[in-house]
Amino acid sequence: MDEFQTELVDLLPRLRRFARVLARSDADAHDLVQETVERALTKRGGFRLGTRLDSWTFTIMRRIFIDQRRSSARWARVVAPADDVTPNIPDATMAGEDLRADALAVRSALHALPDDQRLAVALVLIDGLSYAEAAQVMGVPAGTLTSRLVRGRQALIQTLAEQGVSA
Amino acid sequence: MTYNDETLMRRVDGELTPEAGAAIDAAAAADPALGARLDALRNLRTLAREAVPLAPDPRDRDLARMIATSGPRPSPRTPRLLDRLGAAFAPRHAPLWGGLAAASFVLGLSFNWLGAGAPERGFAVDAKGTIADAALVRVLDTRLTADGADDRGRAVGLTFRDADGRWCRTFQSADAGVAGLACREADRWRLKALAPFQPAAGDLRTASADIPVPVLAAVDAGLADDPLDAAAEARARDAGWN
Repeated sequence: MDEFQTELVDLLPRLRRFARVLARSDADAHDLVQETVERALTKRGGFRLGTRLDSWTFTIMRRIFIDQRRSSARWARVVAPADDVTPNIPDATMAGEDLRADALAVRSALHALPDDQRLAVALVLIDGLSYAEAAQVMGVPAGTLTSRLVRGRQALIQTLAEQGVSA
Repeated sequence: MTYNDETLMRRVDGELTPEAGAAIDAAAAADPALGARLDALRNLRTLAREAVPLAPDPRDRDLARMIATSGPRPSPRTPRLLDRLGAAFAPRHAPLWGGLAAASFVLGLSFNWLGAGAPERGFAVDAKGTIADAALVRVLDTRLTADGADDRGRAVGLTFRDADGRWCRTFQSADAGVAGLACREADRWRLKALAPFQPAAGDLRTASADIPVPVLAAVDAGLADDPLDAAAEARARDAGWN
């Protein structure tokens, strides 16, 4: 494998985590990861050496996700949204009922956020990208990223407080 | 002083200067309400990370296989060697390459690159021949002849000034399968000559031995003074090739 391939393999866990914040169901998250990897391999000629592969692949995933949302929005009127009945599968590795319950509440609160805020929260809060990197992935100015992040966080804290999860 | 949510959020995310962060921490220590707001933001980050942990997934193995078996593709933004050949042999470059040497170079290189099942070779250059491969640039910037080859068979051979006073260095890259001559132009390394190169007996660490004939021909054509000795080479490097 060359450097690009090795780095892409190393990125898989982060891509999957990002996808799990974006997509509601595990199956949708996996599809998102797979499609992102396929597109990254097809478009690898567009990756500029010396730039960051994580930002580049996250950008690809963000675009695929937004495209899917647009097309699913068109179909939502005639097809029942299956995601709502897909259970959030708790992680078997997580110990303790309380922790699992908190995790479910947080995931549910994350998925209730508008897409823009959820993307900002996923990139900065969960993946730990800098504001500048996250803004680049989202294709927005830094100020826009910051305000989405503030609103997303406020909404999360409020939703969780209503559910008795103390943030 | 009051702090809005955005400032507190920047504190938690490490997006403030150390001084501004310390000022908020001091204020929070004296103001329980402010401290509680900061704690809430920190707790939220912890909760969010725990809710969506970075965890291995068995399906990643299939994806890794798919990535590993995907064929390498040349990059249109940083055209690789074959794309460069036409430009490299344009008339303006002709004096450096030399007639017969250039012809054998083309043959050898094409044969190498077009061979069946050839792995990805070479390195990236931009449309003007500026070397874009960060690792190779680092070798040209910092490595001395006496250092020999690095773990990927990259080594520097001769260092000299050309007729225009530019620094030039020959290099070998065993992992890319090439040897060449690069000269300093506008603070970048510009490719002047290139030839297929195989280290003797497959040993990457002996890569500094042989300079291919086409590259030597380019050196002869460009050489204005004798190549530098080890001490002069180190001085030129330490001066940043100025």
